[in-house]
Amino acid sequence: MSANVSSKLSAAVPAVEIRGLVKDFSSGLRGLKLRAVDHLTLRVEAGQVYGLLGPNGSGKSTTIKALLGLLEPTAGECAIFGVPSGRVEARREVGYLPESPYFYRHLSGRELVRFYARMCGMGGATLESRIDEVLALVGLTAAADRRVGTYSKGMLQRIGLAQALVHDPRLLILDEPTAGVDPLGTAAITELILQLKARGKTVLITSHLLGQIEDVCDRVAILDRGKLILEGAVSDLVGRADRQALVVEALPENELAELRAWLAARGRKLETVETPRTRLDRIFLERVGKKDA
Amino acid sequence: MNTVPFSLRRALLIAQNTLLEAARQKLLLFFLLLALGLVVGARWLRDFSFGAPELKFLADCGFGAMAFFGAALAIAATAQLFFSEIENRTALTLLAKPVWRAEFILGKFLGVVAVAAFFCALLTLLLMAVLRWREGELMREFPEAFAQGGVVSYGMVALGGLLQWLKLAVLVALSLLVASFAQTQLFTIVTGFFVFVICHLQYLAQDAYTRAGSWFAQNVGGGLASVFPNFQLFALADSLNAADAPPTAHVVRVALYAAGYCAVACALAVYCFRKREI
Ligand SMILES: Nc1ncnc2c1ncn2[C@@H]1O[C@H](COP(=O)(O)OP(=O)(O)O)[C@@H](O)[C@H]1O
Ligand SMILES: [Mg+2]
Repeated sequence: MSANVSSKLSAAVPAVEIRGLVKDFSSGLRGLKLRAVDHLTLRVEAGQVYGLLGPNGSGKSTTIKALLGLLEPTAGECAIFGVPSGRVEARREVGYLPESPYFYRHLSGRELVRFYARMCGMGGATLESRIDEVLALVGLTAAADRRVGTYSKGMLQRIGLAQALVHDPRLLILDEPTAGVDPLGTAAITELILQLKARGKTVLITSHLLGQIEDVCDRVAILDRGKLILEGAVSDLVGRADRQALVVEALPENELAELRAWLAARGRKLETVETPRTRLDRIFLERVGKKDA
Repeated sequence: MNTVPFSLRRALLIAQNTLLEAARQKLLLFFLLLALGLVVGARWLRDFSFGAPELKFLADCGFGAMAFFGAALAIAATAQLFFSEIENRTALTLLAKPVWRAEFILGKFLGVVAVAAFFCALLTLLLMAVLRWREGELMREFPEAFAQGGVVSYGMVALGGLLQWLKLAVLVALSLLVASFAQTQLFTIVTGFFVFVICHLQYLAQDAYTRAGSWFAQNVGGGLASVFPNFQLFALADSLNAADAPPTAHVVRVALYAAGYCAVACALAVYCFRKREI
């Protein structure tokens, strides 16, 4: 096979492929079954930022655990870069941040990242500089030598990101990275995801706050009670091609009437007039961000 | 497609982390206090000295403490260090790395066995110190009883410590096997304790197997005897004399017996853990 053909083939291998995934949990009592994931089929192309959305208990975390080989699917199959999830090799190119992560309390942040880096086969002279680099990236340089047991929730989330990023994986799986994180932290995570995307990484991110990650995702899938109810490119799903919003300086009443007449003369109608509002989290970001810088 | 082979290096990293967790959790501190209690206890024994046999009595006490508290440590530490990974969901992050589940089990096993090694080494050294000190006192008190010099072979004491450690390693492997399928830490500890008792009484089952009249006793005895290891094999002969030291071949056989049980129990633990939902 020529180099050209093989590179084309590898480009076509999706980062994540889930086919017909079903996961039943037995709830113990009287052998009752709970279907957490119901015939889910998904495909995440390499280089995309993909959002897996849905309310609490819709099966997002279960899907991710099955994808990482941490759970045995009841039916169906998952693969990462074409390698079936059951195999250890499938996890080589993956960084994973679990939902509300919790790490070895007895280690310092730096020791923790070093441990996971070495578990990924890293070592040698570059290891320490790489650890410093990721600790700086997540903003934990100052707290690096403190015990993880003393970390706040936001810091746990960040040290979790550091261990997920340390071996520079091609695929990042972030389970609810913004849950319980303040707007500043959320903005930092969003920023990080965009940086990773710019470097050609694939990011699979889950959230129950549907709006929060809409801005960064290329594509989203929405789950409800284990079933896929909507899937597509964000721009297709939320953009309304037949509408436009114009933002102008405040118009006095008479000019507004003129505008309406102008539009009416062309057979069009002004639908809504409203004062655009900034979002509270944006105000928070502006104020707090400035003080911090 | 490149494969990720089983790596002893990763297993050792997990073992190191497990040992560090035990050390930083001050799990060992409790047992250190215990060892200290032993020394104080030995000092209290001064009040009713009964000559040379007292040294044997002291050694028995020391090994008894090592066996009993060592077993408690082995079972509790295995359950604690295994379930802390499951319950704190650190196993989730760890097993999402390119790590074999067999490496995880082996790492946990080696880590707890290292904890047991620290414990046995510490208690053996302390026992040696107590014996040495008491031997010196008794020699001064009853010079005629020690005409040929000291009666304690410190090599034998060290061997006793080594055998205790081998026994604890088997107990760790068996506890890990229970933990690999158990849902709770409590179940693991209780079952581990029963396993410990059965292993200590296994020779009775063997007796029953060879001598029992009833078909039932014979089969139950035979079944128990063939599944559980015999912990009596790890006891020293009733003497501290170098002359009564067991032959090397016997020690090697016991070590291989322990290694065999560890290997089988760990393999079964890997099998049970292979599909466990994390
Ligand atoms: N280990 C488990 N045993 C039994 N039920 C579970 C288990 N894990 C998850 N579930 C159930 O599966 C469903 C999906 O859970 P999950 O995947 O965690 O949802 P999400 O991450 O979308 O909030 C929930 O109803 C949850 O109660
Ligand atoms: Mg979840």
